[in-house]
Amino acid sequence: MTGDSLFIFSFSIMLIKKIILNLIIVTVVVLVLDFTIGRTLRHFYFKETSGFHFRTTHSMEKTEADILVFGSSRANHHYIPEIFEDSLKMTFYNTGRDGNGIFFQTAVLRSALKRYTPKLIIIDYYGEFAKNEEAYDGLQSLLPYYRTHEEIRKFITLKSSFERIKLISEIYPFNSQILSIAIGNLEVNKKRYDDNKGYVPLNTVWQSKIDTISNYQIYPVDSGKIIALREFLDLAKKSEIRVLVIYSPIFQKFEKKQEIEICRDICSIENVPFWDYSKDTLFINHNNIFRDVQHLNNNGAKIFSNLIVNRIKNDLLNAPLNRRVEQKH
Amino acid sequence: MVFTSFNFLIFFPILVIVYYLAPVKFRWHVLLIFSYFFYINVKPVFSLLLAGVTLSTYLFTRLMDNTKIESRKKVFLIMNIVLILLPLFFFKYFGQINKSIISLLESVHLRWWLPEIKLILPIGISFYTFMAIGYTIDVYREEIESEKNLGILALFVSFFPLILSGPIERAKNMLPQFKSLKKLDYEMVVQGSKWMLWGYFMKLVVADRIGIYVEAIYNNIPFHNGTSLLFASTLYPFQVYADLGGYSLIAIGTAKILGINVIQNFRRPFFATSMSEFWRRWHISLISWLTDYIYTPLSFVLRKYGIWGIVIALLITFMISGIWHGAALTFIVWGLMQGLFLSIEALLKNRRILIEKKYNLNNKILYILLGICLTFVLFASSQIFGRAKNLNEAFLVYKRIFTTSGPLFIGNPSAFIFSIFSLSLLLIKDFTDEFIPSGFLLFENKHKFIRIIAYSSIIILILLIGVFDGGQFIYFQF
Repeated sequence: MTGDSLFIFSFSIMLIKKIILNLIIVTVVVLVLDFTIGRTLRHFYFKETSGFHFRTTHSMEKTEADILVFGSSRANHHYIPEIFEDSLKMTFYNTGRDGNGIFFQTAVLRSALKRYTPKLIIIDYYGEFAKNEEAYDGLQSLLPYYRTHEEIRKFITLKSSFERIKLISEIYPFNSQILSIAIGNLEVNKKRYDDNKGYVPLNTVWQSKIDTISNYQIYPVDSGKIIALREFLDLAKKSEIRVLVIYSPIFQKFEKKQEIEICRDICSIENVPFWDYSKDTLFINHNNIFRDVQHLNNNGAKIFSNLIVNRIKNDLLNAPLNRRVEQKH
Repeated sequence: MVFTSFNFLIFFPILVIVYYLAPVKFRWHVLLIFSYFFYINVKPVFSLLLAGVTLSTYLFTRLMDNTKIESRKKVFLIMNIVLILLPLFFFKYFGQINKSIISLLESVHLRWWLPEIKLILPIGISFYTFMAIGYTIDVYREEIESEKNLGILALFVSFFPLILSGPIERAKNMLPQFKSLKKLDYEMVVQGSKWMLWGYFMKLVVADRIGIYVEAIYNNIPFHNGTSLLFASTLYPFQVYADLGGYSLIAIGTAKILGINVIQNFRRPFFATSMSEFWRRWHISLISWLTDYIYTPLSFVLRKYGIWGIVIALLITFMISGIWHGAALTFIVWGLMQGLFLSIEALLKNRRILIEKKYNLNNKILYILLGICLTFVLFASSQIFGRAKNLNEAFLVYKRIFTTSGPLFIGNPSAFIFSIFSLSLLLIKDFTDEFIPSGFLLFENKHKFIRIIAYSSIIILILLIGVFDGGQFIYFQF
């Protein structure tokens, strides 16, 4: 071994020092930038007054509505607040968010329940129980809340085992959100969309023919999604909230769907009503009330919301808590 | 384990530390162990196939070296090529051939029901198989001696930066480097880190961003108008460039940090002014492999046919390139299109040179620009076959581009803006590297402060607008 060199390892200490020093300089600059930009994004994220970030924050941190609707885009575009509020004389908020599944919904419910107890919860379950990465990728929507909402952390760690480490970065929770955050802070954004207590109407009409699925597809089930749905129902039941699972109309013809069968079985076990509108003749094959295969347009949402409100009045509110379960087909 | 996974960000620094702490003579052992660990993490059972290809190649090349009888040598060569091509053909083409036979039987109402076997393609098989074949042919041609050390050969075939998506390296470049691994070199570490960083930017910020838009369009072709299909088809070549180019840069940078020089795979391909120049800049390692082992021998055999021999050799070479990409007809059409474009260029070459000289066109910006645009249009139009799921879908894209119009589909405005922004950054960098290489330097700036700000800004950009979920390297499927 000579002066500053470890001969056996054939590198010089000076060289190592130089590399490490440069690494430290870059790391420090990155950390400073990350902290500054990340904190700025966080500040403006929670200051948004419209848009989907705002709706999620409102659902988790502010709403005290009597009725909460949970689900993905189908929930968000299918349940009109005024119809529920006027008819049931209860306040209403639609927490549905595009592209977010049962993990997100259960996390939002946990946060809401920490603050108050709603009277009725509707979960619009477009229940696909298949194993797919996207369901976990969607949990990115919860990242901004990781720091302040301990109750949702277990869902975020489902995304990946490294999520806690990644969250050391201040920017990471707001990855790809910079423009949405900027727009969400602009007054003009409120005029862009008719954002009404979470509900976002869709206004175009679907032009194509009905989608027909001829074979019954059986796919490997993600047990995590089943556990999350059951947890959702258990949380509501434990808090003595009336809970209702709905499969809303779809522009598709099929005999059987595995997800509907599974959902019906879970509701039956949990003793929760499951209302299946996937084959309701009022909707099926009526282009004028659909925006696309998965979504009703605003006219369709009006018809559907009225139908649900009437059924709630007749079947649910007049019945004892969690007693009326739809007959298994 | 892939380069964009978090696991790799843990794996690689550990490897670098262990590698440089190990005495020089043991370093190749470290690389071999880590390479197999890397590959086993993709799917353990596939490493058996990798080991099999290595063993077969080792055995037959050693036998080749130990015999002086030419015919016997040739038998060993053919035996090894057939043996190592078998798994590639089986995993890559079995499903497609099965499907084709079934649809053929169906078309004549003779469908015999056969259970469908879904095979998962062992990741990287096309790449390491080509590397092993190249080595075998080099030994046969006596361009190199067969490697006596099985471990070194195993490292060449399994070297982790290259195994999943190339570059397709040559034994004559890699084996000597593995045998005399360099000591820690500051310049190499810095250069490797820069390439890795820019590779991550290309992959996470450019390719995966554009990919979201292209996928949204190509997954719903009948519902999109010509404007959107044309735009998505224009973006797709950039996506592939950023994807494979980004992967290659990460791979080359990774190797560089370990003191190993690997062939560059892309050289600003979208500034090529002809298709022949384009193919000297795009997927360079594959094309040079095809040139050395297929095109050159073929054109030698066909030399008596003059220019038409070259045309036939080009068509066959690029058809093989298409088949290498996949067994689907779309890839064969894609390959034939490349062969056709290059053949036309070869046929018109002399006339073109004359005109260029007469009017001094090579220095005229408009002519260069026209060449760049025409080359891009030709390549992008062929890439429609590379992206579409089948021929019908590809023809539908063409049909809709020419027959339907309407507003451009934007989808998610943020994602759209990020795509355009990131692509612009990539093209600006390529433009300055191509035309003003010493004019606008960031990573290579003489001021340390600017360099550090440049590195940090790229890291911050990746954090801000990189796609961290669901991104997959396009070339893993090949």
